[in-house]
Parts: sequence; C-alpha cells; structure tokens
Amino acid sequence: MTASELIVTKKLTKQYPIGGNFFTALREVDLCIDQCEFTGIVGPSGSGKTTLLNIIGALDAPTNGNAKVLGSEIGKMNHVEAAKLRNQYLGFIFQTYNLLPVYNVFENVEFPLLLQHIESSKRVDMVNKALEWVGLSEKAKSKPAQLSGGESQRVAIARAIVKQPKIVLADEPTANLDAQNSHHILKTMVTLNEELGTTFVFSTHDEKVISYLRRKIKLSDGEIVDDTIVN
Amino acid sequence: MTKFLFLGLLRDKQKSLFPIIIVSVGVVLTTWLYSWMLGVFNEVIEGNARFNNGHLKVTTIAYNEISSQIPNDLCLTEVDKLLETLRAEHKEYEWTPRIKFGGMIDVPDETGETRAQAPIIGFAADLRSEFSKENERLQISKALVKGKFPSQSNEIVISDVLADNLEINIGDVATLIGVSANGGMAIHNFVVSGTVQFGMTALDRGALIADIGDVQYAMDMENAAGEILGFLKNGMFNEELATSNKEIFNKNHSDAGDEFSPLMVTLLDQEGLGDYLIYAKSAGGIIVSIFVFAMSIVLWNTGLMSGIRRYGEVGVRLAMGETKGHIYKSMLVESVLIGLVGSFIGSMIGVAVSFYFQEYGIDISSTFKNSTLMVNDVIRAKVTAGSYYIGFIPGVLAMLFGTAISGIGIFRRQTATLFKELEV
Repeated sequence: MTASELIVTKKLTKQYPIGGNFFTALREVDLCIDQCEFTGIVGPSGSGKTTLLNIIGALDAPTNGNAKVLGSEIGKMNHVEAAKLRNQYLGFIFQTYNLLPVYNVFENVEFPLLLQHIESSKRVDMVNKALEWVGLSEKAKSKPAQLSGGESQRVAIARAIVKQPKIVLADEPTANLDAQNSHHILKTMVTLNEELGTTFVFSTHDEKVISYLRRKIKLSDGEIVDDTIVN
Repeated sequence: MTKFLFLGLLRDKQKSLFPIIIVSVGVVLTTWLYSWMLGVFNEVIEGNARFNNGHLKVTTIAYNEISSQIPNDLCLTEVDKLLETLRAEHKEYEWTPRIKFGGMIDVPDETGETRAQAPIIGFAADLRSEFSKENERLQISKALVKGKFPSQSNEIVISDVLADNLEINIGDVATLIGVSANGGMAIHNFVVSGTVQFGMTALDRGALIADIGDVQYAMDMENAAGEILGFLKNGMFNEELATSNKEIFNKNHSDAGDEFSPLMVTLLDQEGLGDYLIYAKSAGGIIVSIFVFAMSIVLWNTGLMSGIRRYGEVGVRLAMGETKGHIYKSMLVESVLIGLVGSFIGSMIGVAVSFYFQEYGIDISSTFKNSTLMVNDVIRAKVTAGSYYIGFIPGVLAMLFGTAISGIGIFRRQTATLFKELEV
C-alpha cells in the first residue's frame, strides 16, 4: 500500500448467514482507490455496492480477505477504533440527508467537530468555511425543516466535509433530488474533490451521478466485472 | 458537546417536555397516594388512641376481658396510687384516668317531669386539673358548636345532634340515669355548658363528656376509674416502646391469678387495632408498591419510546464516529436529568396536593354512619418526610432504567445496516 492508496481490498469476501446457508455479498474483491479519486461503485440492487461501502466505512467487517482503509485493517478493528476512524478520516452522505431536526444548519455541520473536541473559535471558522463551500452561509440559522431537499443535501455534504476527511462515502446521494438539484450537488462535490483533494466514493446506479464519475467500478453478484477510468 | 446535547434536549419537546410531564404526573400520583394512605391509616389509629384506647391502657384483668361491655363494676380502684406508680415508672408517657359509661339522659321540663330522653355514650376525663391535656387530646374546645368548655363542677358537653334531638339549651339541666359501680342505679343532675361536634359519627350520634370527678361521684367510683390511658408525649404511637412498657408493667404489677389486678395493654391489643395496623401497613405497602411499579412501567415505557424515537439520530451519531458507549452514556445522563426535573416538579406538586388534602380532606361520614370506630368524618392525607421522596426515587430510576434498556439496542445495533436504516 503506497501513501496515495487510501483504500485497498484483497480477496475481500463478505457472507451473510441466511437460514442454514450463507449469502455471498462480495466475492474476492480486489480494489485500490487512490487519493483524490472521484469514484463510483455502480451496479444493480443486490450487487454488493452498499456492503462494499459499509466495509470501507468501517461499519462492517469482511468475512475473508482484507480491507485496509488509510492503513488500518478493518477486520481487526474493534468498535471504538472503527468509530475513531470514522470520526477523524471519513465523511458520510446519506440518501435521506439525516440532519438532526432540532439543530440549525450551523449546529448540524458543527456536530462532527464537537466529537473531535476542536476548540470553539476554530470550529466556527471551519463550519463557516464548509457552509461557504456548499453555498449555504446565509442559511446558517435555518432549521432543517425550513430547507429544500437540495439545500438539506448540501448541508449533509457540508457536515461530511467540514472536518476535511480523507474520504467521503456517499450512498445514493441524489436519490431524493430532482435533476437540477442533483447536478448542483454533484458539481459541489466535484469542486470539493478538486479543491480539497477529498476522495469521494459513491454507491449509485443513478445515471446523473455516473456521468460525473472519473472512475466506475461495476459490481455484479458481488464481483467486480468492470473497472473503468473515464478520461 | 455537553452543551450541544443539552441544547438539543431543551429544544426537542418530545425528548424533554413530554417525558417530564409523564414523570411528573406519575410522581404526583405516587406522592399523593402515599400521603393519602398514610393519612387514612394514621387517622384511624390516632383517632382511636385519643378517644378510646390511648397508646397504652391500664385496666383490671377482668375489665379488659369484657371491655366492650364497659363493666365499671370491674374498675380500677386506688387510682391515685396507680397513677403515681405509672408516672414514676413509665415517664415517657402521660397518664390520665378515664371512665366510659353508658346510660340515658333525661331532660326535665319546668315541673320536673321528663320532657325528653335519649341513650348516651359517656366519657369522663380529667377536664379540670391544672396540667391536664385532655381538652387538647379530646379537642373539646375545638369541637364546640355552642356554649363553653365544662370548667365548673357538674358541667357537661353533649353532642350537638343529641342536643337538637332533645331540644336542650345551654344552661339546661340534664339528668344522667345509669348504673353505678356497685350495680345500683346512678342518677345525677348535670348542667349542659355546651354542645360539640367532633366530626366522628360514632361520637356525634350521642356523646356526653363530663369531668371524671363528677362522674366518679355520680357512679360511686371514688378514687376509681374504668381505665387509665397513657399517651406518648410526642403524640405519636410507638409500637416498640409501647410493647416494652407493657411487658415491664405486667411483669411487675399484674397477677394473672387476680382478676382485679391491673393489666397494661397497647393500642394494638385493643379492638382489633393490631390486626388493622398489620392489614393497613400491608395493604398500604401493597397498594403503594403496585402503584409505584405501574408508574415505573409507564415511565420505563416513556424511556423506551424516547430511545426508539431517536433511532435515526443515534444512527447518524454512530456514522459521525461517536462511540456506542458515549451515545449510551449521553442518553442515560439525559434520562437522569429528565427524571430529576420531572420528579422534582412531581414531588412538589404531589406534596402540595397532599397538603391540600391534609388541610381539607374528604368527607366520608356517610360511609361510617353506623360505625363505632373513632374515625373522623373527614379523612385527610398526612404529609411526612416520606412524601417528599416516595415518588422521587421511582421517578428518576424508572426513567433511567427505561432508557438503559432501550439503549441496549444501541449496542445490539449492527452498524453494517446503518445505510439501509437511515434511508427510510
């Protein structure tokens, strides 16, 4: 694993017990994702996209093989170590935004920084900068209920990138957005990828997202069937 | 982080206000029920103690065996000596002689002929001694409806209902017709100085209260009394102390072979009050326990609901990199805060409500219409130190346990399914 290789999987296999048998979600997946990539794991439902994203996000452990994220072997981590990895180096973007409704935009974005015990004045600067990146500075005091879907997802992006993580994992980030908002969101993410050098890994089958990807890893029945770099 | 979470708690009314209301209501009900049960049981015990049984009672062995018949022919004699002994050997108690008697009261007209008659239950107590506390104990002055306290020789007070029935006025002569201690007829003229209403149906039906000196004279009971009652100086019955005093007295002064020798009994040895107290304590304990248990389940459920409602929030926090242990701890701290606030509010309201019922009570006179138990017509709650914490503790603990159990879900939660769960 070189310094630029953020995610490396070797013969990564994940099986789930179903009844007396096992369902294989991932079969010996070999993968390497470098710094600054804008990569998508694409494929139909049940192809193993989310399972792969879960393992990369230290939310799940492999059954066989290994997965290293930023040099840490996921299969050997305990809950606390996994939480620490997520806290310091990973950002998550969900399909349904999952903003905390009682907190305003500023506070939602501030939350990951509180977990890192960053001092108050620095936190304010970081949150303001993150809101600038996504173009929502004027909505800092708004509550999630007062935002449109696109704005909510932009807040979720700001929350994911405020701590300037090495990797942002996005699971179907445009699934609940119309075309215009989807493009707006994706452009924001492309800009952040280029300006901050953040690696983005998507799980998607949305053509709009796919059109922005610079690398497409196609999964089918838990196996990589295609891995294409887009020029 | 603490400030952040606290802010969220304050803003999310479903997370704070609703559980606080539930906890408060539960604690109010628990506190009130506890105080009420305590008041009811205490009222029966103390009411009977003041009027009938004392905390300790000394009679002859023979009198004690058939005390319900008020057998004054089996009374204690040489009461002054016995009182001296009791006051010397059992100093924690105040000792006072009493005579209960039955009979008839006859109200004559101007010609001396009978105008009206009625049966009475008589109480003779030390009303005129300088240091006697019988007025305070029997609450005669407090119960006066008309007239004055019987401070002069041969003055009596009678129940107001009886006075109405007999159409007797203050200052009128009323003749007591009864049985003397020697078995002869006792006839004695009294003057009605006042009428009373105790709020106890058993007394208000037809009570006559006179000074013991006058009754001793009327019933040929010179230096004699049916019973000598002992009251603990703080006014509260103490079972342990009463029992030990009884045992000491009976060992030193009672002779089982002599039916006229004195015998000391405690409040609980009389008229089934011991069984009543055991029953009352058990029933009270069971009722309050059931109630506390039920409230605990409600509060626990509130904790559970609160935990379940926050499944999404917990998921996001896990994804952000917060550890399961930290989330669990923060939820427990929140539940303790809610429990404390709710329990404090609930206890204060509960105690205030209990104080109200202690002051005004509930009139149950119709229920005890034909009862001979000395029970106040108005039953009141009794606020004690226990009233302040009886609801507080389950209020806090139930909320904490509810959250603790619901929070176990956090540890069981498969983080692998977070994406799926958060996409609902």
